[in-house]
Amino acid sequence: MNEIPPIQGYVIISALLFAIGLTAVLVRRNAIAVLMGIELMLNAANLNFVAFWRYHGAERMEGQVFAVIVITLAVAEAAVALAIILSVYRRFRTVNVDQINLMKG
Amino acid sequence: MIASLWQAAVEAFLSGSFLYPLAFVAFALGTLVPAVLVVVSKNIVHAALWLLVSLASVAGLYLLLGAELLAAIQILVYCGGIVVLFLFAIMLTPGVGDPEVRVHNRQLFWGFIAATLLAAVALHLLSSEPWRVVSTANLTDVTGRLAEALLGPYVLAFEVASVILLVAMIGAIVIVRAEPRE
Repeated sequence: MNEIPPIQGYVIISALLFAIGLTAVLVRRNAIAVLMGIELMLNAANLNFVAFWRYHGAERMEGQVFAVIVITLAVAEAAVALAIILSVYRRFRTVNVDQINLMKG
Repeated sequence: MIASLWQAAVEAFLSGSFLYPLAFVAFALGTLVPAVLVVVSKNIVHAALWLLVSLASVAGLYLLLGAELLAAIQILVYCGGIVVLFLFAIMLTPGVGDPEVRVHNRQLFWGFIAATLLAAVALHLLSSEPWRVVSTANLTDVTGRLAEALLGPYVLAFEVASVILLVAMIGAIVIVRAEPRE
C-alpha cells in the first residue's frame, strides 16, 4: 500500500496538461476549441487537487470537495459559454475569435 | 466472483505490483497524447472526440488515486455531458468546423513558446522539490466521507453550486433564445 508512484508523476502530468490547454486557448481560432482548452486546464487543476488529497493521507476531504465544486462550475461555464458562442454565430456567422473584433479600436 | 476479482485487482494495484505503474503510464499517455491532438487536429469534431479520450483517462487517474466517486462523476459529467454539448455546438455552427479553414491563429509561434516556457518552469520547479509523502493513506469509505464533508462543513458551497447551476441553465436558455435585432 505504501509503494505507489511518487506524487511527482501526477503533478507533472497536471503541469503538462495545463500547458497543453493553455496552448489550445492561445493558438486555436475556433471559440469552441478555445473552450476545450479551458476544460483541459480545469482538469489539470482537478488532478492536482485529487493528487494532493491522496498524498496527504486522505484524512480530510477538502481536495475532493474542491474537485466536485470545480467540475460543477466547469459544467455551468461550458453551458453558458456555448450559449454565447451560438448567439455570436447567429450575429457574425463565424465563431473564429480573431474575426470577432467589433470592439477593436 | 466479480467482487472478489475486483478486490484482487485493487489489492494488486495498491500493493505496488507491476500493474500500478503500467496503468499509471497508460493513463498518463492517454491523457497527454489526446490533449496534444486536441490542439493540432484540423477537424474540430476530431478535436472534440480526442478531448473525450483525454478526459476519460483523467478519470482513470482518479481511480488510481483512490477517488472512485470522482472518477464516476468525471465520466458522467465530462464524457456524457460536456463533450456531447461541444458536439452539439459544433454541429449548430456549420461552416466553422470546415477542415479547409485555417485552424490556428497568427499567435501560433508565440503561443507555443509561452506554453513551452510555462511547462519548462513548472517541470523544473516540481522535479526539484523533495515532496514529503504521507504513506498511511486512509482510503476506507472515501465516498461516504466525501458525502459527509459535502453535506456537513461544506454544505454552503454545495448549495451555492446548485444555485449557480440553476442560474447557468436559465441564462443559457435566455441567451440562445434572444433573436438578433435587425
